[in-house]
Amino acid sequence: MKTTPMEMQSTMPQPQVVNTITPAKLTLAEVRRKLEGTTGKRFWKNLDELAGTPAFQELMQEEFPRQASAGEWVDSVSRRSFLKVMGASFALAGLAGCTKQPDEPIFPYVKQPEDLVLGRPMYFATAHPFPTGAIPVLVKSEAFRPIKLEGNPEHPASKGRSDAFTQGSLLDLYDPDRSQHPRFRGEQADFGDFQQQFSSAVAKTGTGEGVYFLSETITSPTLAAQWKQVQAKYPQAKLIQYEPVNNDTARAASKAAFGDYYDTQYNLADADVILSLDADFLGGIGFPGFLPMAAAYADRHRFDKDKPMNRLYVVETMPTVTGYKAEHRLALKPSDIDAFASALAGGSATLTNPDAQKFLTAVLDDIKKSGGRFAVVAGPQSSLAAQSAAFTLNASSKAVTYTETVAPLPSEQTADLKSLVADMNAGKVQWLVMLGTNPLYNAPADLNFLDAFNKVPNAVHLGTHVDETGFYSTWHIPKAHYLESWTDARSYDGTISIIQPMIDPLYGGKSAHDILQTLIDPSISAFNAVQENAKTYITGDFPTGWRKALHDGWVANTAFTPKTLGAPKSAPAAPASGSGIEISFKADPSLYDGRYANNGWMQELPKQVTSMSWDNAALMSLDLMSKLGLEENEAIELTLNGRTIITPVLMAPGHPNDSVTVHLGLGRTADAGRVGGGVGFNAYLLRTSDAPLAASGLTVARGQGTYDLCVTKVHNIEHRGAYAQRDLEHPLSDKDGTFSLAGHEAEERSIIRYATYDEAIKNPDFAHTGASETLVNKVGYNPQGEAVPHEESFFPDAWRYDHTDRSTGKLQNRWGMSIDLNSCIGCNACIIGCYAENNIAVVGREQVKIGRIMQWLRIDTYFEGDLHAPRAHFQPMLCQHCESAGCEQVCPVGATVHTPEGINTMVYNRCVGTRYCSNNCPYKVRRFNFLLYSDYDTESLKFQRNPDVSVRSRGVMEKCSYCIQRIEAVKIDADKNNRAIEDGDILTACQQACPTNAIVFGNLNDPAAKVTQRKAEERDYQVLADLNYRPRTSYTAGVINPNAELA
Amino acid sequence: MATQGPIPEILDPMIDPRTGEYAVIAPGHTFKSVTQKIAGIVLTANTPIAWFGGLFLAATIATGVLIAVTWLFLKGVGIWGVTIPGAWGFAIINFVWWIGIGHAGTLISAILLLFKQQWRNSINRFAEAMTIFAVCCAGIFPLLHIGRPWLGYWLLPYPNSMNVWPQFRSPLAWDVFAVSTYASISVVFWYIGMIPDFGTLRDRAQWPLAKYFYGILSLGWRGSTRHWIRYESASLLLAGLSTPLVLSVHTTISFDFAVAAMAGWHTTIFPPYFVAGAVYSGFAMVLTLAIPIRKFYHLEDLVTLRHLDNMAKVMLATGSIVAYGYGMEVFMSWYSASHWEFFMMWNRMFGPMGWAYWVLILTNIAIPQATLWWRKCRVSVWWLFILSFIINIGMWFERFVIVVTSLYRDYLPSSWGTYRATKWDYMLFIGTWGMFTFLFLLFARLAPMVPISEIRMMLPQTKIRPGGADAEVVTQEAL
Repeated sequence: MKTTPMEMQSTMPQPQVVNTITPAKLTLAEVRRKLEGTTGKRFWKNLDELAGTPAFQELMQEEFPRQASAGEWVDSVSRRSFLKVMGASFALAGLAGCTKQPDEPIFPYVKQPEDLVLGRPMYFATAHPFPTGAIPVLVKSEAFRPIKLEGNPEHPASKGRSDAFTQGSLLDLYDPDRSQHPRFRGEQADFGDFQQQFSSAVAKTGTGEGVYFLSETITSPTLAAQWKQVQAKYPQAKLIQYEPVNNDTARAASKAAFGDYYDTQYNLADADVILSLDADFLGGIGFPGFLPMAAAYADRHRFDKDKPMNRLYVVETMPTVTGYKAEHRLALKPSDIDAFASALAGGSATLTNPDAQKFLTAVLDDIKKSGGRFAVVAGPQSSLAAQSAAFTLNASSKAVTYTETVAPLPSEQTADLKSLVADMNAGKVQWLVMLGTNPLYNAPADLNFLDAFNKVPNAVHLGTHVDETGFYSTWHIPKAHYLESWTDARSYDGTISIIQPMIDPLYGGKSAHDILQTLIDPSISAFNAVQENAKTYITGDFPTGWRKALHDGWVANTAFTPKTLGAPKSAPAAPASGSGIEISFKADPSLYDGRYANNGWMQELPKQVTSMSWDNAALMSLDLMSKLGLEENEAIELTLNGRTIITPVLMAPGHPNDSVTVHLGLGRTADAGRVGGGVGFNAYLLRTSDAPLAASGLTVARGQGTYDLCVTKVHNIEHRGAYAQRDLEHPLSDKDGTFSLAGHEAEERSIIRYATYDEAIKNPDFAHTGASETLVNKVGYNPQGEAVPHEESFFPDAWRYDHTDRSTGKLQNRWGMSIDLNSCIGCNACIIGCYAENNIAVVGREQVKIGRIMQWLRIDTYFEGDLHAPRAHFQPMLCQHCESAGCEQVCPVGATVHTPEGINTMVYNRCVGTRYCSNNCPYKVRRFNFLLYSDYDTESLKFQRNPDVSVRSRGVMEKCSYCIQRIEAVKIDADKNNRAIEDGDILTACQQACPTNAIVFGNLNDPAAKVTQRKAEERDYQVLADLNYRPRTSYTAGVINPNAELA
Repeated sequence: MATQGPIPEILDPMIDPRTGEYAVIAPGHTFKSVTQKIAGIVLTANTPIAWFGGLFLAATIATGVLIAVTWLFLKGVGIWGVTIPGAWGFAIINFVWWIGIGHAGTLISAILLLFKQQWRNSINRFAEAMTIFAVCCAGIFPLLHIGRPWLGYWLLPYPNSMNVWPQFRSPLAWDVFAVSTYASISVVFWYIGMIPDFGTLRDRAQWPLAKYFYGILSLGWRGSTRHWIRYESASLLLAGLSTPLVLSVHTTISFDFAVAAMAGWHTTIFPPYFVAGAVYSGFAMVLTLAIPIRKFYHLEDLVTLRHLDNMAKVMLATGSIVAYGYGMEVFMSWYSASHWEFFMMWNRMFGPMGWAYWVLILTNIAIPQATLWWRKCRVSVWWLFILSFIINIGMWFERFVIVVTSLYRDYLPSSWGTYRATKWDYMLFIGTWGMFTFLFLLFARLAPMVPISEIRMMLPQTKIRPGGADAEVVTQEAL
């Protein structure tokens, strides 16, 4: 940034005439760069040093003549206070208003790029590479900036669905805390220098001895091929893959059972009975195959009189969404699950726990009755015993197949890491190149990675942030986000997707390909490497095939074919039951292993089941809490094998006794970034390499004070009540049951309506008639059913939504939505999709705690029954777009009005913020900007914003708009092209993200539309129908298929 | 005590021996003494040091308003405790509370005038002043509590280039009309009532600035018959206009709640219940002001125990209506067989915020009902002073219970929340007490607190007909 020299003609003699402005020797941008990445004390130390230099003082004089006048700058007190004020702006990018903005010319395109129409988004196909399998995505790019990710609708495995992590990964691209330049020993450096240093050092070793690569799970076939090339050139070089949440138990079990590593493919469409052994396959892509499995599960779980409904049994420790979708859930602590699994595989052993025994018998019976149409599901977080039991039983399953592994270089990662650490301690490691890993944060505590790390002379860290590991590494190279890189990956079914960049790397990031290519041939780029490798799997004419692969987002005929394997060898015996309290380590449902810790959307997202946000806790059952004398929000000390951490306590309904679950991925240091730093506690500090999933011998000590947890829902103890216990229809267990008042009320108010399969067959209209088979004036019901005739309205001239457009002759649109509660699995994909689409602000922990979270769509979780072993129901709640909306009547300025097509719109510019509309909304789906929540300052975040949706300022109410920007875009397009709008042209963001097609939106005036058909079902009901608000969003009542033996 | 036996030996001159009632005005006053007494408070050269002390204290507390409002404008409504679902909190509670307090002044000024209740003559001036200042304090809240207060004028129906009018179906739009009408009529009524007294002050003032000041304010009042006739007509007209306001303003405020759909809000009892509650709290505030005034300014002979007794009786009556309202709410929540109503009332009484409900019952019903039925309590100055605070606390809690408990646990259990006021809420609220006291002290010092002309009209001397058998030469000194 250079200021243009100015010459001022002045004829009058004045005390201070400025004739020229010489450019300062130091510019603000350089100051920023010097301070980049430093935080805390280091920041101030650097700033202070800088402030002493004459160049800086000159700069100050120029920029802030008044503040930096000779006297003030010399005076250390005022200098310091000035620096305090200005300090932040020197380091943060783009804090406008404090400096003279440079003159930047804006040019329109002289030659517009092909196909680019400014304001019209373009869609490109790529994939989100995730360790469990790539998720194919279609990226919506606005002027070549990716602003929204959707599933790729043509991909055979995912069919257009997506999940919370994929939706959220978009924000990581624009993370302002991303590392912006390579560093050598903390100083800014050049990638070329690194390549020079690295390649010459490795070449000097000749064989590659002492060169170790520690990588995240390699998912790219190209990277695997590059590694083979490196290995060929440097045979002694070693590759270790390690991720804290990995598939080790599956690998070990597969090796033991079949002699080699295989991946399991579950075809749940063919399964009538599903048993999950601690496998949260409905939770998210943390489980391999989540998208096709969730879709297949939901498809088979739909109530159809002519088709049999599936039945899900879940045995697990930590309550998950899978557990709560299950018809029957058995909560067991980890050692008991192992015993259960052994008994299951053995088929005969009896369990000491009578409930578990009953469950086991019933499950085995059901599996037998299914005649091969069953699946026993085990996943990355299931124990070895569970995996082995799954292999044993699935031998007779028609729904389970095995394929080669999705990861091209499968390995047992913890063991590999152990040997790496041994080598590091022995001094064998000269170069440790870490590709996308953060071992100083998440390596098992017993390995003492930091000590071993300090023995390595050259540590190279390739990462998106200068995180806990990057900070201490010799070299840090910024990693390109997958939306900026060329690479490839396989999805769950084996189909290869070529990952193409959507945007030039924002900060000159490099990928792992570039690092490996340094040792092979630095002149070849990642693009070339990927293209070369593509020749191995693209058949036919290569240029055409290549372009087709890039266009489609996947390569045809690359899916795995199932392998026929022999009978699995018997599983090793389960270890003896541990003593004392057991601890279970689970990946966080929103942050996974910690990689999304600096992602504001993911931190704010209320976690599945516990609805915790910005926090993690020691999750335990009510009984354990009372045994230890604990209360919620108390801070306790967990000690395992001599290591201690301090955590808050939260009751998880349905958690087994004598065990505690902690979520991994929080407790990161400030190096994680402005969002993730200091949030939660670090459970990795307790986790050891010999017991990464669960351990026993945990001790709990009280007396660490209190910690106010941030939980958005009301299952917690404050909202239990004596009232709920008095009025229950369900029989109480012998001991004093503890009930969620909120959940009880949800039933009482007919907010959640469901029935068993038999009841539904007998009385298909159960959602409206209740037990007595007559239309009742039950709470929450509409006495005349859900469709009140217009003649009964007080406003007989009310718009009837049946007008015909005179110019086109078409019947008008009448928008509506239907949500199938049977299909909703509570995975939160829709919520993040909504955040991305609608520029929803992240408000931070303190605001969420008092109830000001801004999510337009939320998943309400209601716990039914005794909180020791409850049922849970998930209900997505969003603006119902009521035809007779209460909010519209009470807005004094008319900021919320009803469109002729039935949408309740919010006119942000007119809203003065009286909040009366929120008071009058019984669904409380309206969100208010109590403070300025939208980030108007951080430059990089502005790139992600959807230009079709206003960014709301302070004092304005907002709510779901049925993605009106999408509706209007399609309407305009249809109008321009003179075509009708087909059902499925308009997909709301939530509908598009949902993996199970639970949400359906469309035109109710179209008899063939999916939404019309859903609403015509008998099970369709409106929430709070008796208020006569006439909501346009209705729900399909749930049907469960319980086993009579276990009912 | 209508009948008595032998006349007791010691007669309290203030008690009428026939009825046992306290006199409305102490015997022995003449025209001159009334004028001197009241005008003397205003025109004295020696302002009591306690007045300065009080003013300083009130001003200090009132700066809380400035600080809280500045911070509010800088940061936004989020500095308060409002959230979703409790989107209304202290601001609306305080607004309704202050407006309610104002109603007593209008009732005293207007309705009691029309009912020819002469005893209201000595209290109506400062009661009306109380109304004005209460409306000032109330009026800031609707503007401050909105998210974008700089656009508050959009609630006014003015022709604009956007071609947009307020949405007239909304009770908040009605509030704009109600409160602005109330404020304007009250100011006009109050001011016009003071014109004769400003004339007196102008004539009696020694200090030129005071003469000038009161001269402007008295608008050339000569005391001629014509002026008096117009004055009386104007008073009656304004009283007639103000009378429906007593009922309609708080009814309109109650529509903020009654028109909404929330259980606990959506009830037709609110209009009369709110109006009764408003008069209840207003009279309590009048007592809070009257008792110290009569003590410090030695006005016990003008504002007598009769006034206190009557005001206590009005409080008793309105308090009983309020008690009936509470009782009906509870009854209907059961009788309606509506789960929404039942849960709302059960939650109000026994839920996490149940303590507020019981404070309300104690302060609004239990204590007043237990004491005000007894005359001894009604004429006990100390008890009435304490009780006036208790009742005002109770009335504040009534609005708190209505606003907060209905909102924080409403239809969908998933959105249940809580409400916790922040220090800015308290600072603004307490600051308005300071503001009110500040304005009232200024009024006490600068304007005649008790209407000189109206008191003089109550003196027995006015019953003397000129030229009659008991004619008396009315000299200048006697005036």
